[in-house]
Amino acid sequence: MAYLRMRGITKLYPENNVLANDSVDFEVQRNEIHALVGENGAGKSTLMKILYGLERPDRGSIELAGRAVRIASPLEANRLGIGMVHQHFRLIPEFTIAENVVLGAEPRRQGIFLDREGALAAVRRVIGEYGFSIDPALRVGALTVGQMQLVEILKILYRRAELLILDEPTSVLTEQQIRRLFDTLRALSAIGKTVIIITHKLGEVKEISQRVTVMRAGRVVAVRDTASVDERELSRLMVGKPVSLQVRREPQERGRPVLELQGVRLLVRGQDRPLLDGVDLTVHAGEIVGVAGVSGNGLGELEDVASGLRRISGGRILHDGQDITRLDSPRLRQRGLAYVPADRLHRGSSLKSSVMENMIIASHHRFLRGGVIRRRQAEGFASELAARYSIEGDPRVPIGTLSGGNIQKVILARELASRTDFILFSEPTWGLDVASSEFIYDRILEIRRQGLAILLISSNLDEILSLADTLVVMYRGRVAACLPNSGGLTKELVGEYMLGLRQEVAR
Amino acid sequence: MKRWSRWGDLAAGAAGLAIALGLSFLIAVALIFLLSRSPLTTIRYFFVGPFTNKYYLGNMLNSAVPLILTGLGIAVAFKSSVFNLGGEGQVYSGALVTTVICLALPAANGYLGGAAALAGAVLTGAVLAGLSGFFKMKWGTDELISSFLISAAMGFVVNYFITGPLDDPANNLLASYAIGKQYFLSWLFPPSKLNSSAAIAVLAAAAVFFLMSYTHVGYEMRMCGLNREFSRYGGINVSAYVVLPMVLSGALHGLAGGLAILGTQHMAVKEFSFGMGWNGIAVSLIAKNHPLAVIPAAIFFAWLEAGAKAAMLHSDVTFELAAIVQAVIFYLVTAQAIYIRYRRRVKA
Repeated sequence: MAYLRMRGITKLYPENNVLANDSVDFEVQRNEIHALVGENGAGKSTLMKILYGLERPDRGSIELAGRAVRIASPLEANRLGIGMVHQHFRLIPEFTIAENVVLGAEPRRQGIFLDREGALAAVRRVIGEYGFSIDPALRVGALTVGQMQLVEILKILYRRAELLILDEPTSVLTEQQIRRLFDTLRALSAIGKTVIIITHKLGEVKEISQRVTVMRAGRVVAVRDTASVDERELSRLMVGKPVSLQVRREPQERGRPVLELQGVRLLVRGQDRPLLDGVDLTVHAGEIVGVAGVSGNGLGELEDVASGLRRISGGRILHDGQDITRLDSPRLRQRGLAYVPADRLHRGSSLKSSVMENMIIASHHRFLRGGVIRRRQAEGFASELAARYSIEGDPRVPIGTLSGGNIQKVILARELASRTDFILFSEPTWGLDVASSEFIYDRILEIRRQGLAILLISSNLDEILSLADTLVVMYRGRVAACLPNSGGLTKELVGEYMLGLRQEVAR
Repeated sequence: MKRWSRWGDLAAGAAGLAIALGLSFLIAVALIFLLSRSPLTTIRYFFVGPFTNKYYLGNMLNSAVPLILTGLGIAVAFKSSVFNLGGEGQVYSGALVTTVICLALPAANGYLGGAAALAGAVLTGAVLAGLSGFFKMKWGTDELISSFLISAAMGFVVNYFITGPLDDPANNLLASYAIGKQYFLSWLFPPSKLNSSAAIAVLAAAAVFFLMSYTHVGYEMRMCGLNREFSRYGGINVSAYVVLPMVLSGALHGLAGGLAILGTQHMAVKEFSFGMGWNGIAVSLIAKNHPLAVIPAAIFFAWLEAGAKAAMLHSDVTFELAAIVQAVIFYLVTAQAIYIRYRRRVKA
């Protein structure tokens, strides 16, 4: 008899028409450690958010210990004995461990005063009960990442949780810290707690879990006893069969190097390892370089660095052979940087401004006369782009009133209008329907024919395999592989590089 | 559908403002009934008093002039998402510098000397507020705190000059020597104090409106105000747009102080400008940071003050009543503005 039983869970995000969970059945036995794996966007996080009361499913039911439950909020999840450790910690650095742990359920004196000694004693009791060794009077700001994670776990245990959900708990930890976390999880399981662990790392699945559920594209594709599968098979299950996209990429000679990253490093305070670690990458004219990887392995950082929005800690970036490492975004725009960002709604557009104002952000200098923007010309420019890219809606309405696909078209139109010899795309079709995606693929191939150098960062493997001339796989901030995409590449092979099962630099 | 919700937002905003204002009127009436022995007379003077003769009407419009300028100063800052809480000190310092320049040039041509005096005021305000912007750009210092602190300190400095070196022993006021007659702005509506500074305020509103809506600086300033990350991505020099709105905001505040000296006061009286800076925030909030709407909003605010004055002269209430009513409006309007902002953030 399963301890947790989720049945027919369906969740549609209407904003971008994504079916994040499609009739998902998910079961966990009492006191097992259960791994939930899948690519980005497979629906793992959505499923766990539903279980933790952060999202409401459109359909489906949840049974906990044989009773049907309705979980409308994290507070209710807590009451039912469900706790969650988020990927990004929710701690107050200025507070002590004890204060952080009791926050929201503080022991009180006379009903209104915080009982500091009581809090300290209670947390010390929890620490003793589970055999941890940490002083609850320490300030959280002074802890290591591994210890902070322990505080998050303490928060859950303090609230008497029976079911612990950990969302990619190892992504920020060092090897040693991971060992310690796994020891903790085993100990918790041994005393009867149930653990669900979301992860991308197949080695860890094998090491820590008893059973594993694999999700892909919003569905559960396999549930296995961990002992009976190997990493290769898990990898195959995760990436699935290749989907052939309706794009035709004709062979083409590549030209001079346009954008070069040389030994780019990115260090961030508080992180044990560099987010980018000696990345070398060259994009030639008329070439699409596709960068693939699982989230947390440096794709987002590569986007920030290649677009010049984030200063690098080491290495150089060259454009047409000239060093542009230290240039700020106004200068890069003057040099002709074009960039379609993954974050369309905050970086790529200003939702309250009109479509016209969004379209001229990088080019409004062209419409100036004596410091005044010539409105008619600017609106003419916007209408012309809108017509050419079949964007619905008046250029004078706020862009926030358009659909996700149309917003992306506005961004695409603007960036292609200001392009010169290089363009950066990040997740260009994420959350878009098939027609919009194909429209974008056609544009990308069109500018490739015109001889632009194109850097395409995407977690969608089918997209990369269909479009890229050269494929770069990122793993833990490093280039794990740089492969010419000449037909011999399979999704399985790339998946193995992405998941760290293979590591080499060919070419 | 989304379009409708946008209109809904606008309607909700207008309704919210109407409720806030209506509520403060109700509170005003309630206070009058509570504090006055002849409440009906008081209410009549309170609401209609400012319109009963030229003197009251002109004075009411004249007291709106500094509010238009400080309101504009706040609107420029808010539109760019920077906060200038140093209006009080910037107005007061501008007034002092104008007085000093006029006193230093007792025989200059009225137009040239006056222009120099106003330029001094504008520069002073711009520098005081610009400092906070500069600190923010350089070290990330919160401009909200630093502008307030600089302004508070300047208040004491100005007080020192007015009651110290500049104090005129011939008058019994805590005030400086009077400036030369050639600097007085011309009266527009005698016997009231309304003077040609009103025209300058209206021109300033038009200029700010033009700047924000039509020029490329205004466009970049608004885009930075709405979404700083998008602006940086688009190649706008975002750090400059922390400093520039502060400089403009300070300049408008300084101008308010300078014009008050040339137009109305003719000497720097200790703490004469008290409230002009804070009330500018309320005016800008009522106007929803729209430069042209600042004009009626400032007149509305001045009307309340003038009404209280009239009621005080003709009935039995004290001037504090006006202060209380203004405070109530200030709280309600601010709370409403913050509520709308909060709700948007929650929805986003």
